[in-house]
Amino acid sequence: MEKNKKIEIVLAGHANVGKSVTFNHLTGLHQHIGNWPGKTVAKKEGTLHYKGYDINVIDLPGIYSLTPYSMEEIISREYIATQKPNFIVNVVDSTNLERNLLLTLQLLELEKPMVLALNMVDLLKKKGIVIDYEKLQAILNIPVAPIIAIERKGFTKFLDSGIELVNKKKTAKPLKYSQEVETCIKELNSDLHNIDLPYPRRWLAIKLLEKDQDIQKLIWEKRAEILNKATNLSDRLKKIYGHDSSTVISNERCQLVSRIVKKTIKLTEPIKLSWKEQLDNLTCHKIWGYPVMIAILACMFLFIFSLGNYLSGFLEIISLSCQSWYENLFPSGFLASLGWSGLESIIALAAIALPYILPFYLILFILEDWGYLARIAFLMDNFMHKVGVHGKASIPFMLGFGCNVPACLACRIMETQREKFLATFLTTLIPCSAVTVIIMGLVGKYVGISWAFALYFFTLIIIFILGKIASKILPGKPTELIMEMPDYKRPHLRTVLMQTWQNLKEFVYIAGPLVIISGMIIEVLKQAGWLKLIANFLSPITVSWLGLPAAVGILLILGILRKELILVMLATVLGTTNFAQVLSPAQMITLAIVSIFYIPCIATIAVLLKEFGWKKTMAITIFEITFAIILGGLTFKLLETIL
Amino acid sequence: MAKDISLIDLKIGQKAKIINIAGGRIATKRLLDLGLTPNTEIKILRRAPFLGPLQIKVRGSKIILGRGLAAKITVTTE
Repeated sequence: MEKNKKIEIVLAGHANVGKSVTFNHLTGLHQHIGNWPGKTVAKKEGTLHYKGYDINVIDLPGIYSLTPYSMEEIISREYIATQKPNFIVNVVDSTNLERNLLLTLQLLELEKPMVLALNMVDLLKKKGIVIDYEKLQAILNIPVAPIIAIERKGFTKFLDSGIELVNKKKTAKPLKYSQEVETCIKELNSDLHNIDLPYPRRWLAIKLLEKDQDIQKLIWEKRAEILNKATNLSDRLKKIYGHDSSTVISNERCQLVSRIVKKTIKLTEPIKLSWKEQLDNLTCHKIWGYPVMIAILACMFLFIFSLGNYLSGFLEIISLSCQSWYENLFPSGFLASLGWSGLESIIALAAIALPYILPFYLILFILEDWGYLARIAFLMDNFMHKVGVHGKASIPFMLGFGCNVPACLACRIMETQREKFLATFLTTLIPCSAVTVIIMGLVGKYVGISWAFALYFFTLIIIFILGKIASKILPGKPTELIMEMPDYKRPHLRTVLMQTWQNLKEFVYIAGPLVIISGMIIEVLKQAGWLKLIANFLSPITVSWLGLPAAVGILLILGILRKELILVMLATVLGTTNFAQVLSPAQMITLAIVSIFYIPCIATIAVLLKEFGWKKTMAITIFEITFAIILGGLTFKLLETIL
Repeated sequence: MAKDISLIDLKIGQKAKIINIAGGRIATKRLLDLGLTPNTEIKILRRAPFLGPLQIKVRGSKIILGRGLAAKITVTTE
C-alpha cells in the first residue's frame, strides 16, 4: 500500500439520515465550514487519516434527488460530476430504505465508485425489519456496510470497501429500467456521443427525458438538435404510459426500488412502538397539540432567560475586573481606550454567545434530535402561510425571540431563495432578548406592564402586516410545505453537543469581526468627540420628528452594536436612573418602538451579509431604519395627544 | 367501488392509490422523488386544524404536505 495517498470522498444522502453524525465522527474536530463557491450554501469539509491515507471528507448537503429542486441538489450533482471524488458514501436510513433507495439509484447513475452505508441498523429489530445485506449488495452491485453512526460502528467497513473500489477502479453501474424506457435512453445516448460534458451520457439522456431544465440548457448550448429528439422521445413515453415522461422515469425508479425492497426486506411485527404513536396523537393533536407546544416553548424560554440572566451577571463581574486590570496596565491615552473597546467588544460578543446563544442552540438541537421541530412546522404551517412562508419558518421565528443571529442562520432550512429571504427579513423584526430588555426595562417598568405587552403584541401585528406586504411584492410564488416527519427518538447527547459547538463557532466567526471592528469605530468617534456632532446632526429626526432628547441619537448609534446598550447607556446619557423624571410615557414608548425596528444589530447584519450579500443586506437595513423612524414619529404624535 | 377524489377529501386512516399529481413542475417532481408516484398506496394519518397541512404515510415513511399541494393530488379509493 502506498503511504499517505490522498483521496477525497463525499457523503451523500437525505436530510436526517445521520450523514452529519457520520461526518462528525469521521473527521472529529479536523473540519472547517465554508461556502460553496459562489453559493450561499455551507460546505462542510474535514480530514481523516486512515490506514496510510489522507482522506478529505466532504459532507454534501442533505438532498432527496438529483433533480434541481433546491440549490443543495444542484451543488451536489455538480460536485460529484465535476470534482470527481474518489468515492461516494451514500448514507441511508435503513429503517426507511424504500424512500432512501430512490436517491441511491440516481447516485448509481453518476457512475462513480460508491458504497452504501446503511445507518441506524440498531433500530431495525425494534421496528421489526430484517434486511438481507448480501442480497442488497448483489442487486445494487456496490459494497453495502451496515453502520450505527452515533456509536461509530461499521465505519471501517465502508472505508475499507471504498478504498478497495478506488484501487480496483470499480465504478457503480446504473440499474436497468423497463424495455420501452431503456430503448429511449439508448437512442438519446448514441446521439450524445462525443459531447463534451462531465456527466455520464446515460445520465444526461435520463435527465433529458425527465425534462431537467439545467441539463436541457447545457445540451442546448452544445448541440441543440438533440433537444428535439428528446422531446419526441418524451412524447413517445407519454403516449405509451399516459403520464408525463418525467413521471414515467420517477415511476420506473419507484418500481425498481419496490422490487429491490421486496427481495431484500422482511417485515415482522414491530416491538412496541405504540407509545411514540401515542405521543404523536398528543403533540400533533388538533387541539391539545397547541397547549403542549406553548408549554414546551415556554419552558424553553424560561430556562434560557433564567440561565442567561444568571450567566450574564457573572460575565459582567468578569468584564469589570478585566476593565480594572486593563486600566492598571494601560492607564490612559487614545490607543489604550481603542484597545479596550476592541477587548470590550470581544467580551460583549461572549456576553451574547455564552448566556443566550449557547443554551438556545443546546435546546434547539435537543428538540430537533428528538423530532419535535417537525411537529411545530406541522402545527404552525397554516399561520405561517398568512405571512407568505410555510411551516418550516416557524423554527427561525421561534429562535428569533432569543437572538436574531442563530434565527437568521436557521432560515437556511427554507428551500427557495425567495422563502429564505422573506423568512430572514421577518426574523430580523422579531423582538430578541435584547429588545425584550428594553421593552420591559423601560416601558414595562415606567409606563406599565400592560403597555409593555401591548407593545409586544403591536410588534407581532406589524410583522404580520409587513410579511403580507413583502410576500405580495417579492416575485415568485409561495411554495407549499413538503417535509418528512421523523419518528420521535431519544436525543443523542454527543450529536447535540457537536451541533451546538459547530453552530456556536459559526456564530463567532460570522459576527466576531464585524462586532469588534464597529466597536472600535464607535470608540474612535467617541474619542474624537464626534458622537455629539452626529447626535446634533440627527436631531431633526430625533428631536423634531420623534420628540426625543437629542442625546438619544448617541444611544441609537451605540445600539447598533447591541440593542440593550440603548437602555444601559440611557442612564449615563440622561444623568439619572429614574427615567420617569426625564422622559414622558409617550417618549419612552416611542424610543422602545424605534429600538425594536430601527436596524438589525451588527451581528445580524453580519449574518445577512454572509447569506445574501451587500445589496439585500443594505435593502433590509435601510428599509428598517426608514420604517422605524416613520413609525416612531407617528406613534409619538398619536401618543402625545392621548397620554 | 372506485372513486376518484382529491387527497384532502380522503378520510383519516382510509387507504387510497395515487392517480395523478397536478402541482407545479418543481413541486410535482419533489413529490415524485419522495416516492409519490401514480399507483402508490397513500394514507392520511392526521390533519392539522384551521385548514393546515396533512400528515400522510407513503412507502413506509411519514410526510407532511401543505394543504394546497395535497388538493392537487388525485387519488382513488377502493
